[in-house]
Amino acid sequence: MQQALAKFVPSASEPWDRARAAHLLNRAGFGGRPEEIDRVVRMGMDAAVDELMAFDRVPETLAPPDFSAVRAAWAATTALTPANSTEQQRFEARVAAQRLDNQKLQELREWWTAHMIRTRRPLQERMVLFWHGLLVSGRPEVRLSETLYIQNALFRRMALGNYKTLVLEICRDPAMLQYLDNESNRKGRPNENFARELLELFTLGLGHYTEQDVKEAARAFTGWTRRGTAFFFDARQHDDGPKTFLGRTGNLDGGDIVDIVFAQPAAARFLPRRLFEAFAYMRPEEEVTEALAEVFRASNFEVAPVVRAVLTSRAFYSPRAMRTQVKSPVQLVVGAVRQLGLEDPPLAPLVRAMDLMGQALFIPPHVGGWPRGESWITTSTLLARYNFSGLLLTGGMPGVARRAALPPALPPAAARACEAARTAGEVVDRLVDRLAVGGLGPDRRGALVGALGATDAAAPFALDGAESERRVRSTLHLLMCTPEYQLA
Amino acid sequence: MVNGMTRREFVRKGLTIVAMGATAPSFLTRTALAMGHPFDLAQVTSRPGVPDDHVLVVVQMGGGNDGLNTLVPFADDAYYRARPRLAIPRGQVIRLNDELGLHPRMTAFKELYDRGAAAIIQGVGYPNPSRSHFKSMEIWQSADPDGRTLRVGWIGRYFDSKCPSCEVPFAGVNVGPTMPLAMRSEGGRAVTLESPDAFQWMPSLEGSGAREELELFKILNAPAPNEPGTIDFLRHTAMNAVISSEQIRDAVRRYRGGVEYPATRFAASLRLIAQMIAGRLPTKVYYAHMTGFDTHAAQQGAHDALLEQLSTGVAAFLRDLEAQGNAERVLVVAFSEFGRRVAENGSGGTDHGTAAPVFVFGPRVRPGLHGRHPSLTDLVDADLRHHVDFRSVYATILERWLGADPAAILGAPFERVPFLA
Repeated sequence: MQQALAKFVPSASEPWDRARAAHLLNRAGFGGRPEEIDRVVRMGMDAAVDELMAFDRVPETLAPPDFSAVRAAWAATTALTPANSTEQQRFEARVAAQRLDNQKLQELREWWTAHMIRTRRPLQERMVLFWHGLLVSGRPEVRLSETLYIQNALFRRMALGNYKTLVLEICRDPAMLQYLDNESNRKGRPNENFARELLELFTLGLGHYTEQDVKEAARAFTGWTRRGTAFFFDARQHDDGPKTFLGRTGNLDGGDIVDIVFAQPAAARFLPRRLFEAFAYMRPEEEVTEALAEVFRASNFEVAPVVRAVLTSRAFYSPRAMRTQVKSPVQLVVGAVRQLGLEDPPLAPLVRAMDLMGQALFIPPHVGGWPRGESWITTSTLLARYNFSGLLLTGGMPGVARRAALPPALPPAAARACEAARTAGEVVDRLVDRLAVGGLGPDRRGALVGALGATDAAAPFALDGAESERRVRSTLHLLMCTPEYQLA
Repeated sequence: MVNGMTRREFVRKGLTIVAMGATAPSFLTRTALAMGHPFDLAQVTSRPGVPDDHVLVVVQMGGGNDGLNTLVPFADDAYYRARPRLAIPRGQVIRLNDELGLHPRMTAFKELYDRGAAAIIQGVGYPNPSRSHFKSMEIWQSADPDGRTLRVGWIGRYFDSKCPSCEVPFAGVNVGPTMPLAMRSEGGRAVTLESPDAFQWMPSLEGSGAREELELFKILNAPAPNEPGTIDFLRHTAMNAVISSEQIRDAVRRYRGGVEYPATRFAASLRLIAQMIAGRLPTKVYYAHMTGFDTHAAQQGAHDALLEQLSTGVAAFLRDLEAQGNAERVLVVAFSEFGRRVAENGSGGTDHGTAAPVFVFGPRVRPGLHGRHPSLTDLVDADLRHHVDFRSVYATILERWLGADPAAILGAPFERVPFLA
């Protein structure tokens, strides 16, 4: 492999230590608890990456939401015809079905959030989230929430699968067919929406095709539609005339388009670059992208070898990568709940909090997907991120829930951290360790010691009653309201 | 580099305001001064004849507005040939003259037009148009089709040009989810909020404990020299948020307008902006968002509702400003990243196109139609030719509304469009 993507080899100056193990768990999952980090240090990098990637070996049951009632409600709307009902009846049936579907969508949002919190396959869920942000579909364009579940399951099944296969599947995916209108892409007057985004946002990127290629690809996908929640090829609506796409001429259909797309050099670079940015850092060096593209091409577009190359590279453990990633709202929320050991948090407020931070699951802002990097941060979203810790610690947060008269119990992980400490300084150290906050200078640490009511770090501290509990809560809140905690 | 300063210098200069916040209770001195006398900070006098208290409101119609179904060329048979399903029937068009008229759901717009408070600039676009939402939006927001200065937007460059009152960290206020590139500046002079209630930091404690917690919060968030870029950016944002939140919430709280707004998200954004204007914030530019214009399928209904929302929202906003006595200070401009294809597709929708009209509102506009309507038969790749470069619209606003030097901000002198005197 090229120098740009040299493998990380531990040395005396760059050991496989807690910082690097924590970094791996942050990026390939939702962060590690101190004991998990220690375990990964003992395992070594290769074994740890193997274990994260071989998630199929970890048994996990995941009961899907029950869509039977909403399925019946939608079926009822199609059973009503002008022959057997009034317009008013048909309208009311549609409204009733949509209302039920909206409830299901909320259930689905909470279901996925709960799963990310509890999963023992963190890398798989990180990949599902990655695909949701890349091969974007969502409300309001997708009217059937069940199809969003089907897409989510596809992403889970193909989490580290073959990208070319995944793209072909997404061309036939019932949620995507709704989201980018290909369900109504018909012979004669094609709809360009899906064809354009397939090329621009899913596979090649701007500059690697012409406007004429978009038009021709749209023709190739005519008739690719759905019946209910399943793909359906409508031969009568398919344009089977000759088309010329990226220099190839023939009676091309959607599958041919995908084949031709993946034969382009740009397709080999596109996904590896996005994967590297998701795991390591933004705007990688050109040589890094090229080296990853080689891995991708050599494996015939398998995702796993690329992910493995990233997670074991020197670049991934370099200063440019470590502690420089702005956590996405999902990373922040799921990570905090896991770190604090909150067993069974109420899910609706967590989902709402992520909405306020700009990451509404299944309701992406647009086909370009979520913000990335510093774009996550505005004055508004930063306040929401800071106030979110108040939601966990005091039960309230503006825009989500009013504070309860009595604050909830101290999170179990915080209580445990205090039990093992004798001084204010030790409490701060343990909380910092628990929340994996890096790079806090002495002044800022001093402020946290002050929040415990101590004048210096050596002052004794014991968690013994309401007042000391209030102080620990305040310290934890302040710690989570730092720029440092926003980074992973 | 802006005016010979690097980003770091700019940020540091800005931080002299916020960094004091960590230690001195009077950290708002300069900003507070600006609050009491909103325009005392003027270091650069505006162009003669342009009052310093002008405000610009930008409305972004995200997704690509179908200009042909907004300003309808109802006398042109080519329009009806291209759109057998989607064309607005001749009899339903709200006529502006013998050739052009508004979509039937734009009655509120027509009232503004008749009162002389609305102007339409026809056929606005740029050379070699991109049909990508993201590229084209980037071009409109950066005002730079060649992509040289993508880190900062055209409004951000105006802030960086030391406009009067642009020293405050909320010279720009974006009401919406993400900060538009248009408002990004080297000096970080814009904030984003969605609702004033959520726009505040909440301590975990109450009473005096909360005050102490806030002081510690400031220590934890105060910028320091030589920190990595992202941490620096986060601290800067956090301090801007805390400074702005108090003043913006205060300004909003003071105004209880009696004007009724439609029950839409867009109208709620405009209502919030009206409250901030009433509160005499020294903000120069507000930014509001509409989405959903990407009508590839089942356009009818969806697009109709959007045009009504635009019209009734802006109409309510202007009524509110009149009631406040602030209407003369405010100019609203509404744009979209592109128009749509002349011919409809088979989904009852339209695909991405090129030139489209830009709308300008306010009692000080020169009302009516500006420029000429693009031909529906002389097309490039089945799309309309533009006649007005969007940077001409910006140049006109920068010079005649904001009193700035357009050539310095846009990189070249663009022709003015006479929608402002």
